[in-house]
Amino acid sequence: MGKHLLELKGVDVRYGDVQAVWDLSMHVDEGTIVALLGANGAGKTTLLKTISGIIRPNNGEILFSGKSLVKLKPQDVVGIGISHVPEGRRLFTRLSVLENLELGAYPRKVRSSFGESLDRAFKLFPILKERSHQKAGLLSGGEQQMLAIARAIMARPALLMLDEPSLGLSPLFVKAMFELIRTLNDQKVTILLVEQNIHQALKIAHTGFVLKTGKIVMSGRGNELLTNPEIQKAYMGTLG
Amino acid sequence: MLDILSFGLVSQLLINGILFGTMYGIAAIGLSLIYGTMRIIFLAQGTIIIFLAYICYWFFKLLGIDPYLSILLVVPVSLLLGMGFYQGLFREAAALEDKNISLLIAVGLMFLVENLMATIWTPNPRSIMTTYTAYGVSTLGLRISFTRLMGFIMAVLSTIGVNLFLNKTLVGKAVRAASEDMEAAALVGISPHAVNGVAFAIGIGLAGTAGIALATTYSFDPYFGFVFSLKAMIALALGGMGSVTGAFLGGILLGVLESLGSFAISGGWADAISYGVFLIVLMFKPEGLFVRSVKKA
Repeated sequence: MGKHLLELKGVDVRYGDVQAVWDLSMHVDEGTIVALLGANGAGKTTLLKTISGIIRPNNGEILFSGKSLVKLKPQDVVGIGISHVPEGRRLFTRLSVLENLELGAYPRKVRSSFGESLDRAFKLFPILKERSHQKAGLLSGGEQQMLAIARAIMARPALLMLDEPSLGLSPLFVKAMFELIRTLNDQKVTILLVEQNIHQALKIAHTGFVLKTGKIVMSGRGNELLTNPEIQKAYMGTLG
Repeated sequence: MLDILSFGLVSQLLINGILFGTMYGIAAIGLSLIYGTMRIIFLAQGTIIIFLAYICYWFFKLLGIDPYLSILLVVPVSLLLGMGFYQGLFREAAALEDKNISLLIAVGLMFLVENLMATIWTPNPRSIMTTYTAYGVSTLGLRISFTRLMGFIMAVLSTIGVNLFLNKTLVGKAVRAASEDMEAAALVGISPHAVNGVAFAIGIGLAGTAGIALATTYSFDPYFGFVFSLKAMIALALGGMGSVTGAFLGGILLGVLESLGSFAISGGWADAISYGVFLIVLMFKPEGLFVRSVKKA
């Protein structure tokens, strides 16, 4: 495995009186797919928001390529190569598909390569080219998720963080989504994936971390976790 | 009664309403932009319009600059003023969850500027008299005052300009995106301070245009501003938040309603009619008359 692209050391996050993340340390190696698993409220979304600068950690250090992220604002974090596709997609629904993609390439560093990035996005998602002048809010759920990811890769990230990309999608789209994540990873994009769909996520992940009430309770290689009886019992029992 | 309501008279009332309403319209666009990214009604908008009308008046009185020529000075000054307001007064408050703080700053600014104006220019009404103030175009039995027509043209041009900016430039698109979802905008690299500053600059820039249109057409005093803000707010409610053209049309509609209403009932009722319409629209079509609501997915 390559070097640590992203490293978290002893990160604490509190919301008022509630502590969402406790003394959390983990790392994401360059070129890998890392799955972040756990039940609702385990702190997965909070952790992604902390990495992308929306929430500031109360303690600890977050390093990206060795540089500290904890003092950066979200608009600067994306500028240095971390794109975050938030839960619920958060598209600009009143703007056209093309405008969403244009704004995806907003950071100064990536503006000059806009044309190239757009070609890449349209190659990955041909449907978005057809719909480029439609309002994003009029796309189907699956298309919206594609647009959210396309918008995120317009910033040419080294690390792409996906928060529940398969949520609410039809089985066909779910399958396509996981294939896409693999394709992006083949294109040298490191992926940090938060998923409820644990089985699928672990199948493509090199590494997995399991979160429970803000702490990492288990970690290991994807295929190991997949066959781990505890995981089977705790999270996949109902999924059969 | 039917004799009085001749075609000519109704047309004249309509035209007067439209011409006056454009001023509400551009004030409403300013409110809409600032509301879009800041999520506050900038209550000082009307007072700033009056302030900029005084600036236009000063350029005219002290330096002898023609009011329409002073657009070249007043608009850049107001753009800078808008940027300055944001950087100086709202920058810290904008980041807070509690929007009441920003709203209170706007109210404080309104009172400050109001009293500043009363001190500098006295509370007595002022107006600009030029050779063309009384000039009018007569056609088809209708009389259109030159200055009102100019105000209308300025308003239409600024509306088109703002629309082009919002739809064609990357920064404009960023303002629209931030108006919809500030957090998502930050995640793609848009700085909230940058878009807030731009929204303020354009909002106050439009106040400059409105100030000139007002100064050349009507007499004004320092305390007229608050009512103007309320009217702009009503225009915005009529037109619907988040649509530049809607806000502009809302202003025109309000102007027409006031013009027809004050003729049909009496001049003193113009305000009552505005507020009545405001309540009715909020009750039955709170998203605005010109907005087709797109459901958020």
